[in-house]
Amino acid sequence: MVLAFAGFREILGKERELRLLEGATVKELLEELALANPRFKEAAFDESGELRDYVLLMVNRKRIDPLQDLSRTLQEGDELAIFPPLAGG
Amino acid sequence: MIEITEAEISLDEMIRRARSKDAGAMVTFLGTVRDDGMEGLEVEAFREAAQAELEAIREEAMSRFHLMAAEVVHRTGSLAVGESIVAIVCSAAHREEAFSGCRYIIEELKKRAPLWKKEMGEKGERWVGRT
Repeated sequence: MVLAFAGFREILGKERELRLLEGATVKELLEELALANPRFKEAAFDESGELRDYVLLMVNRKRIDPLQDLSRTLQEGDELAIFPPLAGG
Repeated sequence: MIEITEAEISLDEMIRRARSKDAGAMVTFLGTVRDDGMEGLEVEAFREAAQAELEAIREEAMSRFHLMAAEVVHRTGSLAVGESIVAIVCSAAHREEAFSGCRYIIEELKKRAPLWKKEMGEKGERWVGRT
């Protein structure tokens, strides 16, 4: 399940189910979303294909580090949340 | 109590819940919609994750500053200029703990709770904090 919030929700929709190949990583999932949606690609990746630093991620409601954890393998039933910097209060 | 709600905030109700005979100080904080040349805000939450994060922040504040009670209500949805976005009430034996606890909760909320604001105006819309 992919959840998106704020600007990313406007581009991707609030939630969607994605079927993943076994062993797919967070990075592969993000690239699959980018391939299907040029607006998401533009918003989330820079010209060299690196994830922009304002893209924040959670897997199963725990923040992951985009510098270290993009190679993390996703399991069936995992929930990936994509959102911009926090701005509550 | 932690609440994320579309409904208006009742500060009186929060104060009533936080009162106790052992508390000698109660500090309240209200965050409100400032007129930055806009008409209002849309507030969005990752509700389940924000609720859990705010519960954790509340627990930290309670034990660090020996609070007797801490109440947090954050609104979502459409808010006009001047309306309250967030309210925090902390009670403690003495004012120092109550002030420190309230300060801790709002600062950590801003850093850690998955909530977003979009400014709505005649000239268009803009997500706050986005480059």
